[in-house]
Amino acid sequence: MRLHEYEAEEIFSKYGINIPQGGLAKTPKEAKQIASNIGVPVVLKSQVLVGGRGKAGGVKVVDDLNVVERVADEILKLKIKGYKAEGVLVLKKVEIKKEIYLGITIDRTSGIPMIILCSEGGVEIEEVAHRNPEKISKLAINPLQNLYSYQVIDMVKKVGLTGKILVKTVYIVTKLYQVFKDYDGLIAEVNPLVVTKDDEVFCVDAVLQVDDSALFRHPELNKRRLSNMSERDKRLMKKGATFVKLKGNIGLICSGAGLAMATMDMINDYPSLSTANFLETGGGITSELMVDCMELVLKQPGLKAVFINLYGGINPIHEGAKGIANIIKERKLTIPMVAKALGNRQEETWETLEEVEVHVIKESETQKAVKFLAELLGVK
Amino acid sequence: MSILINKNTKVLVQGITGNIGTTQTKYMLKEGTKIVAGVTPGKGGERVENIPVFDTVEEVVNNFKIDVSVLFVPARVAKDSVIEAIDAGIKVVVLITEHTPVHDVMEMKAYALQKKVILIGPTTPGIITPGECKVGILPANMFSPGTVGIISRSGTLSYEVAANLCAIGIGQSTVVGMGADRVAGTNLVDILKLFNEDKETKVVVIVGEVGGTQEEDAAEYIRTEMSKPVVAYIAGASVPPGKRMGHAGAIIEGGKGSAKSKVEALLTAGVKVANRLYEIPSLVKELVS
Repeated sequence: MRLHEYEAEEIFSKYGINIPQGGLAKTPKEAKQIASNIGVPVVLKSQVLVGGRGKAGGVKVVDDLNVVERVADEILKLKIKGYKAEGVLVLKKVEIKKEIYLGITIDRTSGIPMIILCSEGGVEIEEVAHRNPEKISKLAINPLQNLYSYQVIDMVKKVGLTGKILVKTVYIVTKLYQVFKDYDGLIAEVNPLVVTKDDEVFCVDAVLQVDDSALFRHPELNKRRLSNMSERDKRLMKKGATFVKLKGNIGLICSGAGLAMATMDMINDYPSLSTANFLETGGGITSELMVDCMELVLKQPGLKAVFINLYGGINPIHEGAKGIANIIKERKLTIPMVAKALGNRQEETWETLEEVEVHVIKESETQKAVKFLAELLGVK
Repeated sequence: MSILINKNTKVLVQGITGNIGTTQTKYMLKEGTKIVAGVTPGKGGERVENIPVFDTVEEVVNNFKIDVSVLFVPARVAKDSVIEAIDAGIKVVVLITEHTPVHDVMEMKAYALQKKVILIGPTTPGIITPGECKVGILPANMFSPGTVGIISRSGTLSYEVAANLCAIGIGQSTVVGMGADRVAGTNLVDILKLFNEDKETKVVVIVGEVGGTQEEDAAEYIRTEMSKPVVAYIAGASVPPGKRMGHAGAIIEGGKGSAKSKVEALLTAGVKVANRLYEIPSLVKELVS
């Protein structure tokens, strides 16, 4: 779950991390009110959860208090990649002397948190890492220990900071790690961290992405997330299923992400076939879950067929088959369906599916089932 | 011979009284797995499939020698339960549970490393040495005894690869599911080392996935130290970049961790790479004969 910038800033502030003065406005009037309280110049920032908002016109600097309302109105009405802003963040503009990148993330292979600093901020960090690796300073943290600020001093010195600014930055890095840990962060990022002309250090942007699997520890965030979800999405999430919409003509239901990806690779090999979605059920298949999955898949326009690929390890596939059969009968579905289902209780599963005229492939090779699908649809 | 588990392995089931724990205990017993005890706090004294249940792992290890613990516990107590098993001195811990918070996984992994424990998972189907022992949820009818070792980041793909090998008469020494989360308790390369040392394993199959750099690390080990032929497949070549596909493992960020970078690293190490899943059996067949 990615938080809005203003939400991340609220959390950062609670930990004593320096954020420019300001606040979230839901209306142009509120924006003007905030701006007049803190004084111009201000930065107005669209609160949307998609990247590239600066390029899309979602971030504007305003020097004149009289135009704040108009600019805020434009930003609030602006759709970025199809998304409308949840509000506009009004922040006091700070005088930039130096910009730094600060990020904390997880090194997947070693399984440890990494703090990353870069003496060049406000830019694409990947590019700098590639072009000037010497500008990057990294610190691996032992997940079993606390982070003490003395451990951070060295890495902050490496990006060229000294004296008071060094101390202030060390404080921010240490506190940001605490946020990352306390909030089950996947990413905590400040780009840029700004050193001002009067030697203050501010977070001018705030990114915090929280691990969905840990939301039970953060009920207030979980509540907000659930409030934005449909009932069906909630049921899918509860069972651990994942649905991603793609552009294609074959609906797909698989009982594992790896299996789903391998199946997609095979279907997409046919020039006239492509998967309309990615759907993996997770390990909690029930008859009801399968009905939800089928409904989601069938909602997609232009489907030529539905392809189902299941393994019964932890999943009771015989229960899943009942759900598929129920929705076929109930909706009198005629769309071609091909299913491969193997594992525990496979015979019962086949019987249930064949009764409702699903084409059942009993061999272990997904490729044979995909080939059958292609022949059924008359494509090469 | 095999790796990690065999017909003599003594197994503990943590979370044995839950729905999944009980069902999977039955399936494991059917495959000959020697399950000697179960643990569920508060259910001490009960029996599941005639197996005694205890409140703590400590009580179990005071009464039995345990080689492996397999866990079917809720995600919110996964860290506690894994650390309990490690503290009781169990050297192989298999965490089947899905959706464990990644910060908990990082702690478990670091603790296991410190105590020299092999932690498999989370989100793993477990381990099977066909015909001898099964620890986890793998459907046994997809496997048969033989000389091919399989390491898979994806559970369901390990079933399919094994079944496709069985279909042409090639069995498996041991099949290990790595676990599909962002962070895995044990990495590919550590399991690869075990297969390299196992006399019975003749060929190793790696089933990888987009995301992370485990396959790249494995490639480096294969290039420098592996004495056995390796076949590999990376799922998700046609996955659009930036989409989160199911478990956290399958994320493409930038060029790093892409199918292309993994395939290149593996080819450089002399690995036979299957472009599609169905090419694996014929590649393996050439190497075992």
